[in-house]
Amino acid sequence: MLFNTVRFFVFLFVVLLLFYRGPRAWRKWVLLAASYYFYMSWNVRFVPLLLGLTCVDYFAALWITRSTGGRRKLALISSLAANLGFLGFFKYYNFLAEGLVQVMGLPTHSLALSIILPLGISFHTFQSISYVVDVYRGEQEAIRNPLDYALFIAFFPQLVAGPIVRAHDFFADLFHWSQPSPEELQRGILLVMLGLTKKVVLADQFAAVSDSYFNNIAGNPGAVTAWTGTIAFALQIFFDFSGYTDIAIGVAQLLGFHFPVNFRRPYLSQSITEFWRRWHISLSSWLRDYLYISLGGNRGGRWRTYRNLMLTMLLGGLWHGASWNFVVWGGYHGLLLSLERMLGSGKPKAASYFYPFRMAFTFALVCISWVFFRAANLHDSATVIGQMFSGVGGRSLFQTWHVVMTVVALCLAMLEEESGWFERLVRAPAYVYATAIAFLLLCIEMIGVTEASVPFVYFQS
Amino acid sequence: METQPDARVRDAESERTAEPERSTQSNSPGPAASGRWPVLTRVVLAVAIFCLIEAWIFHSSFYADLLKPGSAAGSVRTTLQVEQHRQVRDRNQVLGVGDSRMPLWPRLTDGLRGETGYTFANIATPGTYPRDWYYMLREVDPDRNRYSAILIPMYEYEDDDWGDQSGEEVDIHYLAPLLRLSDMFEFSMSFPTWKLRKRAMRAILLRGLTYKQDFRDLLEHQDERMRELKWTRENLAQARYDYRGPERNDVGLEVDWAAQKITNYPPGRTPAERAEFDMILLRPVGPNTGQRAAYRRLWFGRIAHYYSGTRTRLVFFRVPRGPFVRPYPTNATTSVVREMAARGDAILLDQDLLDELEHPEFFMDAVHLNAAGCERFNPILARAAARVLGPLSGGTH
Repeated sequence: MLFNTVRFFVFLFVVLLLFYRGPRAWRKWVLLAASYYFYMSWNVRFVPLLLGLTCVDYFAALWITRSTGGRRKLALISSLAANLGFLGFFKYYNFLAEGLVQVMGLPTHSLALSIILPLGISFHTFQSISYVVDVYRGEQEAIRNPLDYALFIAFFPQLVAGPIVRAHDFFADLFHWSQPSPEELQRGILLVMLGLTKKVVLADQFAAVSDSYFNNIAGNPGAVTAWTGTIAFALQIFFDFSGYTDIAIGVAQLLGFHFPVNFRRPYLSQSITEFWRRWHISLSSWLRDYLYISLGGNRGGRWRTYRNLMLTMLLGGLWHGASWNFVVWGGYHGLLLSLERMLGSGKPKAASYFYPFRMAFTFALVCISWVFFRAANLHDSATVIGQMFSGVGGRSLFQTWHVVMTVVALCLAMLEEESGWFERLVRAPAYVYATAIAFLLLCIEMIGVTEASVPFVYFQS
Repeated sequence: METQPDARVRDAESERTAEPERSTQSNSPGPAASGRWPVLTRVVLAVAIFCLIEAWIFHSSFYADLLKPGSAAGSVRTTLQVEQHRQVRDRNQVLGVGDSRMPLWPRLTDGLRGETGYTFANIATPGTYPRDWYYMLREVDPDRNRYSAILIPMYEYEDDDWGDQSGEEVDIHYLAPLLRLSDMFEFSMSFPTWKLRKRAMRAILLRGLTYKQDFRDLLEHQDERMRELKWTRENLAQARYDYRGPERNDVGLEVDWAAQKITNYPPGRTPAERAEFDMILLRPVGPNTGQRAAYRRLWFGRIAHYYSGTRTRLVFFRVPRGPFVRPYPTNATTSVVREMAARGDAILLDQDLLDELEHPEFFMDAVHLNAAGCERFNPILARAAARVLGPLSGGTH
């Protein structure tokens, strides 16, 4: 059940109706039932896995709270082993098996298994891990009611592709739930509409451009072609993922929950360091809090800091997918972050005439990384990078209207950065708010890809 | 990811900019203006504004005038516009409807006006079916008094089951500019599956969704579209009037009916054209399902009902069936048009009227007459129609 389908909106309508019109005591049950129904609509076979991991982490946290010394650590390790074990098996088994086969000279695919990746496993395992680690660190109390914990893991707006919600935020909302204010509901509706527009009007249109390039790299030679194909993917993945996140945050808000902001106009960044403060914020802060800091952060001197940055980004890259492309993608970002740290160029800059140049340079660096994210393998990635810097012409894959859409989106992002039009719109008079929603509906109707629902890019993670 | 030296706490504190902001805080300064307008009102208002804009753009002529003339919706729209703008001098107008097998050309019938007394016009559009013809007639003749007769071509008078025309999704695109909200039930339910019915309803309610491809094409090729529209506005009527048809013919075509094989194709035909000969001439005789009869009963019935009680008569005739006539027996057990004729709802021209044109030299492919065929077709049809329609009414509008 994709967010960009009529079926999802019918489902959401029913959930809202049951949630607000049903007895108060049933609300958690309504959300839990809806979340499991949502999960089952993808693949019912993985429900035992979700339930199993929920049980393991629920009991592990209680065990940690009630134990001392080595037993606490054992409980933590058991939980981590279960989460990472399942994630590793489902996501990385074939990747590792392929490597092993090559090293041992065995026939290709001799160790391969036909494994279907359970939906959202990368997200809900990270969410579970953060909860258990927080309990271990004493930053979070273990949850007593299994229903509450099951809802934290399975809550449908964030189940399949985040944002990765921290336990203390979620349970604060759950335990002190209050009726959303009209303004919050307005924000929620506007976010859902904006997210849907980003997905079907922008992301899916740019997807057609990037697919036409990346599905036939050899047939599309030239630097301009390679750059426009890659920029199209950069725009696709941003609008796709931030659109999904907007819908998730908006839906949560309609139900009285408050998810963290996940994107803050990342392509306006002036450095890679700033980019990671604006891109997939819930993941980057998770990696910082549970990996980078656990590795020692910047406490061991310069070179250890660079090593930790590299390791964090390499593992972060691998989290996105099981292939060498993602390893290179993560390594590339780790290298750039280390370089910026070494040169001191990642610190926030005051606005100046150089801002557009710094922004464009950062965007170009990010685009290069997207090549590894999108291309089918390292060979294709190398071909695209080669084309980008070949200096030979090629042709632009963008139509005039693609450029117009990009410029409009850029202007809106800059305006949001300067004046925060979104919040103003939420509080604007009814006719302004309603006209904005109507305009978004019209864009979806006229330009949106609605005939066939295109899956979200991050659903593959 | 950047952190300050030494302490984890300081690490985290220094990262406050990267700390996820929660969308919890509404940060509303004082009483929100929204309190005065309940959320539901805003949503209803948004939908109302959307409907108004949608209606203004897509349910008026605003966007319809920009439709690609060669598209399904555009071809119907331009064809009807040409006919609507045609000067009608008297009440003796005969209109042809149909698909691409209906080559009624005013250029060839105007010369016979002294003899027949009637002026012939044609809104036949390639790819259309009787369901389309009903809505096209309703659009072009809203007062039901413009024509003395409507000429409707048929391949066979018998209801020979050959494909289910009720499931033609393209009808939704052809008719998008013509459908009204009041057509919702009648039009949608005429499709056999719920998937198609849903699409049909959507085309009536949210026409922009049906025009989406057209709109994207407009965005991608604005200049080309504007040139095309300008040419269509200025020249299409005359170009259609002057059209002479293709010269090529099917001479050389040979069929072994016993072996069900085409033994020789006309020279210079592409594999696709050869496949079309096979498909049309050698198609198997299927079982009688009654689908065609039901479809004709519905849509010819609607056309007859539309014109019932008016002076407009429906005239059916059989088009030349092909360069050769298939010798296989038909599976049909009914004939809706014969039933209509028996009730006085329609007139049938002699079904063998145009048989003399069923020769390879008058056809350009398996189903369409060529220039020579059309030159003969028009006078035969015009004279026959005039004969059955009888004396002129003589009145003017």
